Amino acid sequence: MLHSSLINKMKQIVGKENVLTAVEERLCYGYDSTPEACLPDLVVRPDRTEQIQKIIKLANLHLFPVIPRGAGTGLSGGSLPVKGGIVLDLTRMDRILEIDEENLVAVVEPGVVTVHLQEEVERRGLFYPPDPASLKTSTIGGNVAECAGGPRAFKYGVTRDYVLGLEVVTPTGEILKTGGKTVKSVTGYDLIRLYTGSEGTLGIITKIFLRLIPKPETKRTMMAVYERLDDAAKTVTLIIKQGIIPVTLELMDDLTIRCVENYLRIGLPLDAEAILIIEVDGPADLVKKQTSQVAEICQSGGAREIKIAENEKEREEIWAARRAVSAAVVQIKPTKISEDIAVPRSQIPNMVRRLKEIASRYNLNLVIFGHAGDGNLHPNILCDQNDPEEMERVEKAVGELFQAAVELGGTLSGEHGIGIMKAPYLQLETGDVGYEVMWAIKKTLDPNNILNPGKIFRSGRNE
Amino acid sequence: MNSLAKAEGHLNRCSKCGGCQAVCPLYRETKAEPYVARGKIFLLKNHLEGRLPLSSKMKEIMSLCLLCKACVSQCPNSIPVDRLILEARREIAREKGISFVKKNVFQHLLKNNGRLNLAAQLGYFYQQTGLQWLVRKSQILKLFGGELAQKESLFPVMARRPFRRQVPRHFTSPRPKLRVAYYTGCLTNYLYPATGHAVINVLRNHELEILIPEQWCCGIPALASGDEKTAAELARKNVEAFQKAGADAVITDCASCGSMLKEYTDLLNTPEAKAFTAKVLDFSQFLSEAVSFHAGEIEIPRLATYHDPCHLKRGQGVSDAPRRLINMVPGLTFKEMKESDRCCGAAGSFNLTYHNLATKIGRRKVENIRQTGADFVITGCPSCIMQLRHVLELEKSPIQVLHIAELLSMTYSSGKVSKRN
Repeated sequence: MLHSSLINKMKQIVGKENVLTAVEERLCYGYDSTPEACLPDLVVRPDRTEQIQKIIKLANLHLFPVIPRGAGTGLSGGSLPVKGGIVLDLTRMDRILEIDEENLVAVVEPGVVTVHLQEEVERRGLFYPPDPASLKTSTIGGNVAECAGGPRAFKYGVTRDYVLGLEVVTPTGEILKTGGKTVKSVTGYDLIRLYTGSEGTLGIITKIFLRLIPKPETKRTMMAVYERLDDAAKTVTLIIKQGIIPVTLELMDDLTIRCVENYLRIGLPLDAEAILIIEVDGPADLVKKQTSQVAEICQSGGAREIKIAENEKEREEIWAARRAVSAAVVQIKPTKISEDIAVPRSQIPNMVRRLKEIASRYNLNLVIFGHAGDGNLHPNILCDQNDPEEMERVEKAVGELFQAAVELGGTLSGEHGIGIMKAPYLQLETGDVGYEVMWAIKKTLDPNNILNPGKIFRSGRNE
Repeated sequence: MNSLAKAEGHLNRCSKCGGCQAVCPLYRETKAEPYVARGKIFLLKNHLEGRLPLSSKMKEIMSLCLLCKACVSQCPNSIPVDRLILEARREIAREKGISFVKKNVFQHLLKNNGRLNLAAQLGYFYQQTGLQWLVRKSQILKLFGGELAQKESLFPVMARRPFRRQVPRHFTSPRPKLRVAYYTGCLTNYLYPATGHAVINVLRNHELEILIPEQWCCGIPALASGDEKTAAELARKNVEAFQKAGADAVITDCASCGSMLKEYTDLLNTPEAKAFTAKVLDFSQFLSEAVSFHAGEIEIPRLATYHDPCHLKRGQGVSDAPRRLINMVPGLTFKEMKESDRCCGAAGSFNLTYHNLATKIGRRKVENIRQTGADFVITGCPSCIMQLRHVLELEKSPIQVLHIAELLSMTYSSGKVSKRN
């Protein structure tokens, strides 16, 4: 627990109602959407950059950890206070400062909820594409810190492709401003990319400049059912070869389909190996043309059945199947270990085979779904946290699936980040040199290891 | 094993995805994680695992819930959060007791209609004798600090006489198609007799025999505060009284009472309760589904919008019926508001206990109402009506709040039973 004089100083900085000391309150800021949880020593809720600056200066003086937190929907443990300290709740900094329609830029504070920004810009005929599954809850600050992705990433890219500028409070309490409203900028190192996806270890992001694009006129959704997974994977490649870039290309494997059907009873085929959910967007006439092209490609690629949504209701029905996945799969077993490896698109069939082989060797329940367009798969192991023997097998399997992803030219994490969940495996992908460069950056920028300690780097390193 | 422990299975199904945060009206105003469903679930889990006592902080956090079920309908794992909160409150009440005032109200006042009528008379006396004028004028309540002065203005004018004493207990009809029993609810009985008269008027236009049996509070205030014993006692009394009446349907004009009456099966677990519950229908549901509804001929050339009471839409699954009825009103234009099913902040007595917070939630609702440009906001719960009128008044808005029965009743020629065209 922090010394009471320090708590009083915090109260002076942010006001006493914004310093939470009760254990009941602190507990609620020590979890995210992973199965893990920790107890912070204090929760502080600033609403201005200067307040954050003062807090960080105090942290360097008294050497306590500071962990920035948005909505707490992370999937890698990025916002967990694993070494105690202060959780800095940034949700009160939730103002959209500017929507510059001439320059297609939005300037926001970190606590703005992703969907609120999207609604606001779409009302003006503009579009902010990154769409992590938690977008109705997650904050832009958290999206930038974790470099969130989402189904639309295949066509529109991920969060980092939209960050044009940042204001950051550095780990030593200075204010850094980088980038701004220009699309082009090559002045020195690209600090924006360094900070985007830095998982709260290199600074507290306090202001964000985001690139906007015009909103696509319309979209069309369809679902294709395959008897063989390879055919589904082949279809993905065929579509892209035709020069069509769908906005989403979602894949569900056989076990996922069965879980969803058991959960929703919407008539999904129980003997199918794969389902693709494909959405195209753009100008109306182009969407119409591409819809029929895609349907043809699916047909020739071996789809057994193709369903094209004729209206919003049918579109919703198709997406309901995809959205139900998370809830549906926990019917198998209560604990869900959710991974998000990504491989080059052409390696999807190989990766799926490797995943199934690993799961069967360790006798585990594994479902695979994800974003086939960009090779970002979500293998989910369903297990029981209270069964230590099974959890041991899970751990081994996870190690092997990371190994397989890297061997196929892929990555440990497409969009969730390293946090604590993947920290033991980071070096698999970065190699020794990459790892040391990253560590050197962290050490230099945060000499007292104030910001979000215990993350990204394996234990023993970052303590 | 207590019932909270039985709920452990539900607690374990929370994946902390945070979907509840997006829809929680309390979170929207406070941005406080402990008030969100996943926060409360996490705390209850910690309690059951022996790491967290039922402290006064826990009591406060558990009492900060509107029971609006917005999180329940959003939850990918369909966790019955409102039930878990009720279990927690019951557990806390058992361990720490409930407040002196609540205890007296629940255990002495609610069970005794004579005393309740007397209390209402005192309220009427307070408002009519100039005592209220004196209190407001002198601003004496400000001396007590807090929000007492504002809370006082939340209360509408009490009825001079309770509604059930203003009307006969039995309305006959020459060729009754059905025999319905009317559960009036306390708010209609003591505060809004006009709603009651409107309900009777609309029903009398549909060739129905109407009974108003002796009845008691539905029990929801007691249950929401953790006093299940009192709630069950009231439930038993109501079941018995309505069974005696022997009606085809039991209708109610109050969304909260309606959802509570439909819970009686679970609460009492008796065949009588089951038979009673099966007959309970909301007023709008009854008109829309059980009879062939016809509006009167008087045109109402105004613009109306509709607010979905939590206990009607999510509590009873009734949201199409009232809209169908509103659209049948001659001359009326209907316009949906944004977030029509977001809680108005009333939540039983939540707006009394947490007035400032409830008013913030209410202001968002009022803003959505205003944006439609409506003259009327129609709803189906007297508790929402009280809150909406209060906040609209604070905002100095001329928009009128009407119970759907009042709107429908206005279409029949001067309260007379109209002949069907």
